[in-house]
Amino acid sequence: MNASGIPIDLIMGKLAEDVERSQERILKSKDVLLGPLETDIATTPCEIVYEEDRVKLKHYLPLAETRVKTPLLMVYALINRETMLDLQPGRSVVENILKEGIDLYMIDWGYPTRKDRYLGIDDHVNGYLDNIVDFIRERHGVPKINLMGICMGGSFCIMYSALHPEKVKNLITTVTPSNFANVKGLLFTWMRALDPDLVVETHGNMPGDMLNIGFLLLNPARLMLDKYVGYFENVHDKVFVQNFIRMEKWIFDSPDVPGETFREFIKDCFRDNLLIQSKMELGGKRVDLQDLTMPLLNIYGRFDHLVPPEAAELLTSKVGSKDTEDLCLDTGHIGIYVSAKCQKELAPKIARWLLERDRTGGEGVAPRSAGKDEPKPKTEPKSRTASTKKEKKKTQGG
Amino acid sequence: MDHDDKQAGSPGSMFADWMKSAADFWASAAKTWTPETTAANSSATFPGGDFGKMQEGWQALLKTWQTSASALGSPQTMEAIFKGASASPDTAMRMLRTTWDGYFQLYQIWLKNAGKLGESGKPYTFEGLEPGVFKDWTAFYEKELQPFFKMPQLGLTRLYQERTNTALDKFNQLQVVVGEFLHHLNGPVERSVKAMQEKIEEQAKEGKLSENFKDYYNMWIKILEGDYMVLYKTPEYIESMGRALSAVDEYKAARDNVLVDLLQVLPIPTNKEMDELYKEFHVLKKTVKEMAKKLKKLESTT
Repeated sequence: MNASGIPIDLIMGKLAEDVERSQERILKSKDVLLGPLETDIATTPCEIVYEEDRVKLKHYLPLAETRVKTPLLMVYALINRETMLDLQPGRSVVENILKEGIDLYMIDWGYPTRKDRYLGIDDHVNGYLDNIVDFIRERHGVPKINLMGICMGGSFCIMYSALHPEKVKNLITTVTPSNFANVKGLLFTWMRALDPDLVVETHGNMPGDMLNIGFLLLNPARLMLDKYVGYFENVHDKVFVQNFIRMEKWIFDSPDVPGETFREFIKDCFRDNLLIQSKMELGGKRVDLQDLTMPLLNIYGRFDHLVPPEAAELLTSKVGSKDTEDLCLDTGHIGIYVSAKCQKELAPKIARWLLERDRTGGEGVAPRSAGKDEPKPKTEPKSRTASTKKEKKKTQGG
Repeated sequence: MDHDDKQAGSPGSMFADWMKSAADFWASAAKTWTPETTAANSSATFPGGDFGKMQEGWQALLKTWQTSASALGSPQTMEAIFKGASASPDTAMRMLRTTWDGYFQLYQIWLKNAGKLGESGKPYTFEGLEPGVFKDWTAFYEKELQPFFKMPQLGLTRLYQERTNTALDKFNQLQVVVGEFLHHLNGPVERSVKAMQEKIEEQAKEGKLSENFKDYYNMWIKILEGDYMVLYKTPEYIESMGRALSAVDEYKAARDNVLVDLLQVLPIPTNKEMDELYKEFHVLKKTVKEMAKKLKKLESTT
């Protein structure tokens, strides 16, 4: 130890050991990085059953006996890609949902180009989403389907369910922003500081790279530095590297957001907070949350820094439905789908909740136009008692 | 060397010589191009054309060129032109002096402000955050340099020149605004390092120092993360970020305008033209889709 009391000799000694260990890791990493790596994402088998412009509809092949008769449509956000829900076998919300016996569809919004810059929220909600819901209803011969929205996709589902309640049996929203006022989240503050007109007039669409820079800047110490320090500390570990690369693939796969949709979402939602006040208009019709009368399960993360609880939890108190439930999980915005703990909680909860409500309403059948190679989903219901709940529930997860 | 020799090597005389030789070349070319020399091939060269009119036009053009060349090539004209040109170094020197003065002032302000850095290493506090240097520079730029880019332009190329100047102006503004934004982003790094030093000193006094380097890294990254979280909530940062984003967009728009001018010489459509088409296409497609939906409904009911 030197005169200042700092054990520089010991620290330097440890540092030298660390450097030696790092050297060993780097040598081992050669085999990992130069060898074959399994880094594919979204590998759960599915088929494209509907296409319109850039938008595709995936139908997943069943992995278990169908327990919930009514098919479920997942609607992801226009920011980043739906592949996050199917990162890898064993860490996939899609796989878990299928294993619960749910017939699952997912919208792939594709990659908007400059020609898509004039597509607004109305085009997505009353256009693509409505057409897809009609397609699934027709395919299964059911009057209503189950809808599950993720983040901005959840906001779209709220709008759709309020405008077309006759087509939605149950609604599940996950990490969905519905209230944009007095929210302390950084994203909300920053979005309000942005000039959406200037962005759209300049770029046409909101560039995905620009959004990514914004997300990285939310926590540069962790996302731009510490994350990669962690990577180099584990670069010799093949499994770690594979998982890391999968996540990197998803994070930086960022389609542009159609210009008009971006402009409307910032102005109507982030700035004027019209959705939660039932003042938003789409295609000349008001989105009245009192028209949202189907059962609603609202799931959000306690530590979500993008959509904080105060942005999500108000919804259940504003809708017309009397069968609503809030579920707050001890996790963040992405952790809700990828953390090992939430993987065990989320899909079973969704399946239970849907099963309880599956008996009411129209009978579901197997898809009419299912291909001959597609295994036929079992239609025998194994649902538990139908729910006739009239009281609002608030449960705490985690 | 006498006066004439000086003139012979001057840019003016070189330009006059070039004008003269160019005029002579085209005059000799015109002399060889007569109806007699090209009569045999006239029908092949100008099928159905009127060679006489072509030649008249050519000679008229040549005369104009010769007149202009001799006028421009005269010593008096050249003297006037180069007198004007020799005045421009004075103007340039004035501009340079003004710019230098501004830079010097900026440097002094910068030094003064830079001295403030690290005065307090307290983490998670940003009271002393004063990117005043950028404000001073902006004020200087707007007063001393920006007027040059906003000078009214004249003549046929006025609009093109204006757009180029606007792009240059926006680029300069972008540098300052982005500089200010990066200064904000760099703040937590500087402050966290300083705070780390203080923490290490405290721990050393208490004899609680870790021997593991990773512990220090973890401590630093935690302070850094906390510093960023505090910074992000300051109105100064939010305003600076908003300005930076706007400056990026404004520069891109101005640069695109210049590129559109350049693209006009190429046979390809511009973004603006394509956007008009996309809009029409979008409206048309929406109408067709709505009509198809209504038709399908009608068919299912009948």
